[in-house]
Amino acid sequence: MKNAEIKSPQYARSLIEASLDPLVTISTMGKITDMNEALTNLTGISREQLIGTDFKDYFTDSRKARKVYKEVFAKGFVIDSPLTMRDSKSTDVLFNGSVYKDGRGKVLGAVVVARDITERKRIERQLIEARVFAELAASMAELAKTKAEGATRYAESAMKAKQQFLSNMSHEIRTPMNAIIGFTKVVLKTDLSAEQKEYLIAIKMSGDSLIVLIDDILDLAKVDAGKMSFEKTPFRMTTSLAVMLKLFQTKIQEKNIEIVSEYDIDIPGVLMGDAMRLHQIFINLISNAVKFTNEGKITVCARLLSEDAEHATIEFSVTDTGIGISKEKLGQVFENFQQATSGTSRLYGGTGLGLAIVKQLVELQGGTITVKSEVDKGSTFSFNLNFQKTNGEAELEVELIELDKEIKNIKVLVVEDIPLNQLLMKTLLDDFGFERDVAANGKIAIEKLKAGSYDIILMDLQMPEMNGFVATDYIRNTMQSKIPIIALTADVTTVDLEKCKAVGMNDYISKPVDERILYSKMMALVKKPAPEVKKARDKNSNEVKTSTRCIDLGSLSQRTRKDPSLMKEMILLYLDQTPTLIHAMKQSFNDKDWNGLHMAAHTLIPSFSIMGIHVDFENMAKKIQEYAIAQRQAEGMDEIVLQLENICLQACKELQEELKELKMQTYAT
Amino acid sequence: MQHNRIKIFLVDDDALFLKLLEIEFLQETDFDIKTFSSGELCLDNLSYHPDVVILDYLLAGIDKTAMNGIETLDKIKSLKSDIQVVMLSAQDKIDVAVSCMHHGAFDYVVKSETAFLRLQKIILNILKTKKTESELKWYMERM
Repeated sequence: MKNAEIKSPQYARSLIEASLDPLVTISTMGKITDMNEALTNLTGISREQLIGTDFKDYFTDSRKARKVYKEVFAKGFVIDSPLTMRDSKSTDVLFNGSVYKDGRGKVLGAVVVARDITERKRIERQLIEARVFAELAASMAELAKTKAEGATRYAESAMKAKQQFLSNMSHEIRTPMNAIIGFTKVVLKTDLSAEQKEYLIAIKMSGDSLIVLIDDILDLAKVDAGKMSFEKTPFRMTTSLAVMLKLFQTKIQEKNIEIVSEYDIDIPGVLMGDAMRLHQIFINLISNAVKFTNEGKITVCARLLSEDAEHATIEFSVTDTGIGISKEKLGQVFENFQQATSGTSRLYGGTGLGLAIVKQLVELQGGTITVKSEVDKGSTFSFNLNFQKTNGEAELEVELIELDKEIKNIKVLVVEDIPLNQLLMKTLLDDFGFERDVAANGKIAIEKLKAGSYDIILMDLQMPEMNGFVATDYIRNTMQSKIPIIALTADVTTVDLEKCKAVGMNDYISKPVDERILYSKMMALVKKPAPEVKKARDKNSNEVKTSTRCIDLGSLSQRTRKDPSLMKEMILLYLDQTPTLIHAMKQSFNDKDWNGLHMAAHTLIPSFSIMGIHVDFENMAKKIQEYAIAQRQAEGMDEIVLQLENICLQACKELQEELKELKMQTYAT
Repeated sequence: MQHNRIKIFLVDDDALFLKLLEIEFLQETDFDIKTFSSGELCLDNLSYHPDVVILDYLLAGIDKTAMNGIETLDKIKSLKSDIQVVMLSAQDKIDVAVSCMHHGAFDYVVKSETAFLRLQKIILNILKTKKTESELKWYMERM
């Protein structure tokens, strides 16, 4: 490009005209003197009409426009001043201007550029809208989440309430049933006419079936709540099946039917699994078979399906020659409260829960259950379950020890608040030939324990004044007694059984008490020395200790969500770090090393609240820190340092003990 | 909502407090936690690029030659200025807090029982700020 061209006025003019931004020159009086094409396009007014008019009149806010061009003349320039044009679209512009002078520096006028920023404003608006929209969407999502969480919580609490209700009901029903069945058994042992005996047996059987019903309902509730759990203990399949078949012996003799068992000898001797639940499955299936069969036989069969190095799959079946189930009804037999025909329940009794439970029990253990049936010919229920193989020995099952009248020098303490149950236990124990004593609640029991000596305690759980848990805890930890304790519980939810074990009870019996089981369990505990109870504290601890403990692990256990291994880690860290800090604090205090003292006290401060040590000590440490920062020795400082040392040492000691207990807990779980 | 877990460094020479914080953070699933017992170790691992560093103010409580919190903070900010740092201290002192903020910390939290809750809130704020910033950047680039 040549110089001459740049200087050419024609060239400059064409550049100005080409600009898309409106360009105007105005006189010092604010009159328009010249403009480019863009301005005429924007205003829609011709060049001739524009020249000589007031510049400010072309803006919506003419006073502001006037101020802006005045500023141009006053300062010599103005940059990006926002204004709105008075045109059909109210175009937003940014106003830039500067003065121009003649050769002698006299101001002749100003050149003004008005940049159209409509597009930019539009994008800005969109940005704001988009952001508002995004925030709205986020808050809506948040709201939906809160709602969903609320619904989940609600459902969970409803489930809990249901479980609690059933557990309470079970307790309320079991307590009187315990008395009814127990006393019926007692009366049955007396001299009775044949008629009386028959009536009493009817009462007892009704009671028994009511208890079964309650158990069934509780089991289903547990399945619903996802709380059904299965044990994995070694057991002997042959013994397990034989014991169970024995239970039906009397019934079968009454009905004049036969029971046959076919047992595959290839099934490994000892397997890992839940023998109790297997019993439950079989009892439900066999009692169904017995119920619906009037002649013929019932075949119970166990067959090894497959086996590998670690597992064995066994197929079990129960076949009867009873009334059978029609094809249409076959699909529904495993549903809750279903019997094949509504008529059958009136004829044969039962609630229709049994098969529903069986199905759940089989499926929750990863098995399947099927049924084949033909009306008037009979039915076959078969299911398969997978068991882990083991080299271990089967745990000793509670063998039913026959009453041995030789052992009579046993002294029993019965802790039970309900007079009916007290009387029943007395009768049973008298029958065993044991000496017995009764306490109406935990408090009385403890007094009696202090006064006399006993061989075993039968402890009810729910009692006024002091319940069974508290009493046991006191006996184990405060009295340091290892006397065997059997819990008597009407409430058979798993939660309570865990609690029984946790406070140090040796065993439990659910009410109504089966006298043979009671006898067996008592004998098992009295004969051999009671096993070491895990919660019992060793060495010479005494009662005062608990009350003066300086630590409180409540907050720590809450923050670790009661995870014993995390608690252990935290305690170990404290035990590791604190003595060093105490040493550093003492050392730097003696050496007047203020910085060191500051650091040590500072690091010590958070540990007090973590271990639940009283806030006074935290404040003492803070005081030390302040003195240290101020670099001066204050009166009583040595006393504070000493106190801090003592409290930390005591905390360490208590935490050591806590640690021991946590270790036992983690072993136990 | 946020699929990437939030990477957090916890730096404290007080092993007890550090562990407790770690436990509390690990109970929330959205955090990816790394703990360091000194500022030096934290700096050595900055390549891992944490979203947030929670830094003890003192850091020299046990080892007196160790780098202190403010030095560590400065170093982090000079190496990777977009990492947000929250300072922790047992000291409830305004001037300490102000000095932390002057050195570019995002916030300051006193070590107390509620420290974890506060930290959680602050981290949420940091994420919010970050999100808004990147959103703004996105729009600015398109303008």
